[in-house]
Amino acid sequence: MSETMSVEVIYALPKKQEIVPLKLPVGATVRQAIEASGLLQKYSEIDLAKNKLGVFAKLAKPDAALRDKDRVEVYRPLIADPKEMRKQRAAEGKVMKKGAGEGEAETEGNTK
Amino acid sequence: MIASIAVMAFGALLLGAALGYASVKFKVEGNPLVEKIEAILPQTQCGQCGYPGCKPYAEAIAGGEADINLCPPGGMEGVRKLADLLGREVKPLDAEEKPKQVAIIDELMCIGCTLCIQACPVDAIVGAAKQMHTIVGSLCTGCELCVKPCPVECIRMEPIVQNIDNWKWKYPVVDIKRVA
Repeated sequence: MSETMSVEVIYALPKKQEIVPLKLPVGATVRQAIEASGLLQKYSEIDLAKNKLGVFAKLAKPDAALRDKDRVEVYRPLIADPKEMRKQRAAEGKVMKKGAGEGEAETEGNTK
Repeated sequence: MIASIAVMAFGALLLGAALGYASVKFKVEGNPLVEKIEAILPQTQCGQCGYPGCKPYAEAIAGGEADINLCPPGGMEGVRKLADLLGREVKPLDAEEKPKQVAIIDELMCIGCTLCIQACPVDAIVGAAKQMHTIVGSLCTGCELCVKPCPVECIRMEPIVQNIDNWKWKYPVVDIKRVA
């Protein structure tokens, strides 16, 4: 309908989450959204070579085109090593739940 | 003969046009009661009422299938408002009332599995596969749906501490005493 689309750029820290709503021309890319958001200036620790980008929990390349109402997300690397975490939990005798087992989860909730 | 047919035809056309105009002009989108009920519900989409979300619950209330006291996040205040709107009796909540809370992820333990993101009904978790997951406090409704799917138990709920930014006047509650 119009020449612009509205997207959000989000950078989340545990204590503070920065959400920047933007109006961008149709066909803008993930990188353009990040640059227009001003987050790079505000948070100097964001390094586009290191921090991965994505749209709604899916990793996206910086030159991927955006669609209207998209939420561009700037991710941070993990602190824990997934393999180590799993090993450690196995050693402690804790069970790893696989997936969101609905039935199992519900019976658990009832006993608590 | 022809004149009377013409008069009837003219009348039919006129009334038809009036009805057509009215159906466009005074069109009611969906059930207005459902919308009013939904406006009272807290939109946590948590499913604690036994329905898949706030809208299905609102439809069930409007259809007379569900009770009005099944929404724990709405609390007693929500029950009271619903009773007001629907002219039903105020009932005690069918669960214990909890303080408002948000989910917090322990960053030292998160393994980036995305299971909590898939569980979140309001897109309040930022993260992707093998990237740090973070909860956006302003979007989190405190529904606890992300807590159970986490395979490393790194999500906990924290009550929202009242401070100057989120303090609100308590609505006055006047208990109506039954006379005689």
